[in-house]
Amino acid sequence: MPEITVAGLVKTFGDQRALDHVDFNVGDGELFTLLGPSGCGKSTTLMSIAGFQHPEEGRIRVGDVAVFDAAKRLALAAEHRNLGIVFQSYAVWPHMTVYENLAFPLKVRRLKRAGIRSRIAETLELVEMTPYEKRYPHELSGGQQQRVALARALVYSPSVLLLDEPFSNLDAKLRIRARAWVKDLQHRLGLTTIFVTHDQDEALSMSDRIAVMSAGEIQQIGVPEDVYHRPANRFVAEFVGRVNLFEGVVAGVDGGEAVLEIDGSARRLTVRAAEGARVSDRVTVVVRPEAMTLLANGDASVNGTNTWDADVHSTAFLGDHYEYELEAGAVKLIAQTSRPVDGSRIKVHIPQDACSMVE
Amino acid sequence: MATTSHATEAMPRPRRSIIPASLVQWLTWAFVVALVLGPFLPLAYASVRDRPLYEAGGVFTIEPYRELFRERAFWHAWWNTLQFAALTTAMAVALGAAVAILCARTDLPGRRAFTKLVLLPLLLPSLGMVLGWIAVWGEGGYITSFFNQRLHIGVPAIDTILGMALVEATRLMPIAFLTCQAALVRADSSLEDAARSAGATPLRVLRSITIPMLRPALLNSATLIFTLSIAVLGIPLLLGVPNNIQFVSSYLYTLWTSGTSPDPGAVSAGAMVLLLAATLLLLIRNRLLGAEARFVSVGGKASRVALLSLGTWRWPLAGLITLYLLFTTLLPVLGLALMSFVVFLTPLIAPWDLLTWSHWQMLDDGIFRNSIQNSVTIAVVGAVLATAFVTLATLVAHRSPFRLRRTLPFLMLYPRATPGIIIGIGFFWAYLLTGALGDWFRNSIWGIMLAFCIRNLPLAYIVMYPTLARIGEELDRAGRAAGAGWWTTSRRIVLPLLRPAMFAAFILLFVELLNDYDPAVFLVKPGTEVMGATMLSQFIQGAVGPVAALAMVQVAVTVVVLAVGSKVFKINTTGGHDA
Repeated sequence: MPEITVAGLVKTFGDQRALDHVDFNVGDGELFTLLGPSGCGKSTTLMSIAGFQHPEEGRIRVGDVAVFDAAKRLALAAEHRNLGIVFQSYAVWPHMTVYENLAFPLKVRRLKRAGIRSRIAETLELVEMTPYEKRYPHELSGGQQQRVALARALVYSPSVLLLDEPFSNLDAKLRIRARAWVKDLQHRLGLTTIFVTHDQDEALSMSDRIAVMSAGEIQQIGVPEDVYHRPANRFVAEFVGRVNLFEGVVAGVDGGEAVLEIDGSARRLTVRAAEGARVSDRVTVVVRPEAMTLLANGDASVNGTNTWDADVHSTAFLGDHYEYELEAGAVKLIAQTSRPVDGSRIKVHIPQDACSMVE
Repeated sequence: MATTSHATEAMPRPRRSIIPASLVQWLTWAFVVALVLGPFLPLAYASVRDRPLYEAGGVFTIEPYRELFRERAFWHAWWNTLQFAALTTAMAVALGAAVAILCARTDLPGRRAFTKLVLLPLLLPSLGMVLGWIAVWGEGGYITSFFNQRLHIGVPAIDTILGMALVEATRLMPIAFLTCQAALVRADSSLEDAARSAGATPLRVLRSITIPMLRPALLNSATLIFTLSIAVLGIPLLLGVPNNIQFVSSYLYTLWTSGTSPDPGAVSAGAMVLLLAATLLLLIRNRLLGAEARFVSVGGKASRVALLSLGTWRWPLAGLITLYLLFTTLLPVLGLALMSFVVFLTPLIAPWDLLTWSHWQMLDDGIFRNSIQNSVTIAVVGAVLATAFVTLATLVAHRSPFRLRRTLPFLMLYPRATPGIIIGIGFFWAYLLTGALGDWFRNSIWGIMLAFCIRNLPLAYIVMYPTLARIGEELDRAGRAAGAGWWTTSRRIVLPLLRPAMFAAFILLFVELLNDYDPAVFLVKPGTEVMGATMLSQFIQGAVGPVAALAMVQVAVTVVVLAVGSKVFKINTTGGHDA
C-alpha cells in the first residue's frame, strides 16, 4: 500500500479560498482523518485526491504515481487513479443489484466472468453481505447499503481508500458499530485510508492521525491524544470536544510553570508554561470540563493552587455524567463529573497538567 | 485472509475508451451551437443585403430596415401585438395564479382533477383549438348566437384584439398555473401555519403570505407568456387578418407570401427585430430568475392539510372552473368535431340536416393524406432523434468536465423564446446557403423536421434536467472512481436512471412536433406539407370542413398519445411547459 503526499493545495471558489496551502503525508496503511466543520475544505481536499476537483496549485502523489500537479498541468482522470471511495450518500447505483454494483468496476477492468464471480464472493464475505447479492439497493437498510458501498470500493483492490463522511446517514447506535467494524477491516487489509468527517468522536476513535481543518487551512496534525489534550490553537480546542477557555495575561513565569491572570477577575491560574512564554504575554488557556475536580464545600482533600470556590449555576444529568455550570467570581466554568456534588456552593480544582496554553 | 488476495498487482488497469470523451463533448456542443444559432446568421445576413440571397451579386445595405421602419403598417402591427400580448399576459397570469391557489391551497372539490384538466388547452393543437373557438365563439358561432339571441347578452367578438387575447390567454394560462402551482407545492407550508398561529385569518394569510411568496413565479410566467404571445401566428392569421388587424407575425407572413412583391429583405429585417425583442425578454427573465433557480426540483411534502376552507364558496367556485373548462376547452373541441361533420356550420339549420362524411373522406387524398403521413413521420423520427440529442447535450451540460458546458443550458433554452416564424425564415435561408446538403433538407420533410426539433428542443431539456438534477452526482463519481470513463459512466449509470425522463420527453416532443406549424409555413413545398401548415393554407382558401377534420385528427392523436403516455410510462406529461 502506498503512501499519499499532498503538497501546497490551493483552490478558490469565486473569491473564497476553499483550500489554502494544504500539506500532509499519509503513511502506508495509516488511517488519516480530515476533521473540521462544514465548509472547512476537508471534502474539497478529498475530492482533489479522488480527481473530482482540480486545485489551482499544488501536487498530489499516491505511492510513486504523481496523480496531480498543477504546475505541470497534470491531472490524471478520476477513473485512472485506482482509488476506492465511499461517498456520504453511499452512491450505490439504484438500478443495479448488489452483485451488479460490485461487478461494474471489474467489468470495466475486463475481468473474466469466473474471475468476477470469485472476486465478488470474496469481497461480499469480507463485508458480511453474501446473502444479499441479488438484492436491489432499495431493499437494503442504510447500514447494509454502506457495506455495499464499501465492498464496491474494495472489490478492485484500489491502492488507497477514501471515505467521505460515510457514517453521517446512520443512526447513532449503528454509527458506533460501523466505526469499529470499518476500523477493523481497514486494519486487517492494511489499507492506506483517508477519512473525512465533521464528527470529533468518529475522528478520535478511528484515526491513526487527525488533521483538523478550518477555513481551508490545516490547523493541526497529530495523533488523537495530542489533538485532544494538546490542541495547537483555540480553534482546535473548541472544535474537538467541549472546553473552558481562560483568556488573560501571563503574570509570572517560573521554570516550567506560568501564572495567568484571568481577564476581568482577580483569579489566577497556574499552568504548564508553553515554550517561550513570557511575562505580560496575552494567552488563552484551555481546560477540558472532565479534567476538573469538583468537591463539596467542606472537603479539604484538595487545596491550594488552582482551587477556587464556585457557585453552582445549573446542573444537568446526561446519563453517564453530570455537567455543572459554575461561577467562580466573574469566571464562568463548565465541569463534568461522574458523581453528583451536593450543595450550591462548592469547590473546583483545576489540575495544572490539564491546562494547556494556546495562541 | 483477504489481505493477500486484495493485492493491487492482481488487478488489470481499466481500459481507456477509443473515442476520447472530450471529443464527444466538443461535437455535441458544436452541434447545439450550429443548430440553435446557425439559422440566425443567414437571417441577419439576409436582412442587410440589397437583394434576396438566392440572387447573385448583392451588397451591404441597411435599406431593408429603413424600408421597414418607414412602413406605418409595421408600427401599427407592433402596437396591436403589444396590446394583445399585454392583455393576454394579464388575463393568463391572473387566472392561472387564482386557479393554482385554489387547487393547491384550498379544499376546492375536484381540485386533483382540475390540476390535470386545466393543462389541456396548452397540450391540444393550438391551430385546431382556434378553429374550434371560431366554430362556437365566432360571429354566428353556436355559443355566440345562443347568448345574443336567446339570452340577449352580448359577448365580446373574438376577432378583436381583446377577443384574440382571450383565446390566447386560455391557451397560455396553464403556464402560469404550472409555475404558480410548483411554487406553492415547493413552498414550506409551515410559513403559512406560522402566520395562522400568529392569529391571521386564512384570507389574511393568503393575502400577506401566500400571494407575496408567489411573486417570483408570477413574474417568471408573465415574462414567458408575454414572449410567447408576441410571436403567435395562428390567431392573427385566422382571426385578426379577416378583420384587418395585423400583428407583427402575420404582417411578416403576409409580406413573405404576397405573390406580387415578396420582400425577403424586409421580412428578414422584421424577423430580426422580433428576434431581438424576444431575446431581450429571455435575458430579462433569466435575470429575474437566476440561471437555474427555476429548475429547483419539486420536492414538497406529500400531503398537507388544506389551508383555506372555502366554506359555502366551495361548490360555486368548483362550478365556475368547470364552466370555464367547458366554454374554453370542451365546447371548442365539440364545435370543431361538428364542423368536420357538416356541410357548413350554422346555428340556423339543425346540424343533422347538414351531416356529411365528405370532409373526412377528403383526408384520404392528396395534400391532406400527404400532410398526415409527413406529420406522423416527422413526429416519430424527430421525437426519437431530438430526445437522444437532448439527452446527450444535457449530460454534457450538467455531468461533464467540458469547459464550455455552462453555455449549453442557455443555448438549449434559447429557441423557447424564439418566435416559430423566425426559426422558419432562418432555416429557409440556412438551407439555401448550404449547397447540396441544404437542398436535400429543403426538398424533403427532414428540413421541416429539423426546424421543428430545434424549436421544441427546450421542452425536452426542461423535462430532462430536473430528473437529472435529482440523480445524485455521487452516483457518477462512484462510477468514475470505479474506473469507468465519462461515456461508460453516462451510459451504464446515468442513462438507465434518466429513462423515465427520456420517455416523457419523447411523448411531449411527439405531440409538439405533430402539431407544430409556424416554422413550417416558410419551408413547405408541394410534397412536404405538414398538418399545421396545410390547415393554415387551406383555411385561408376557405376549405373549412376538411381543415376541421384534420384538426380533429390532431386532437385525437394528441389526447390518445398523452393518455397512453401518462398511463403506460407513468410519466408526468404536464412537464415542459412549467419552466
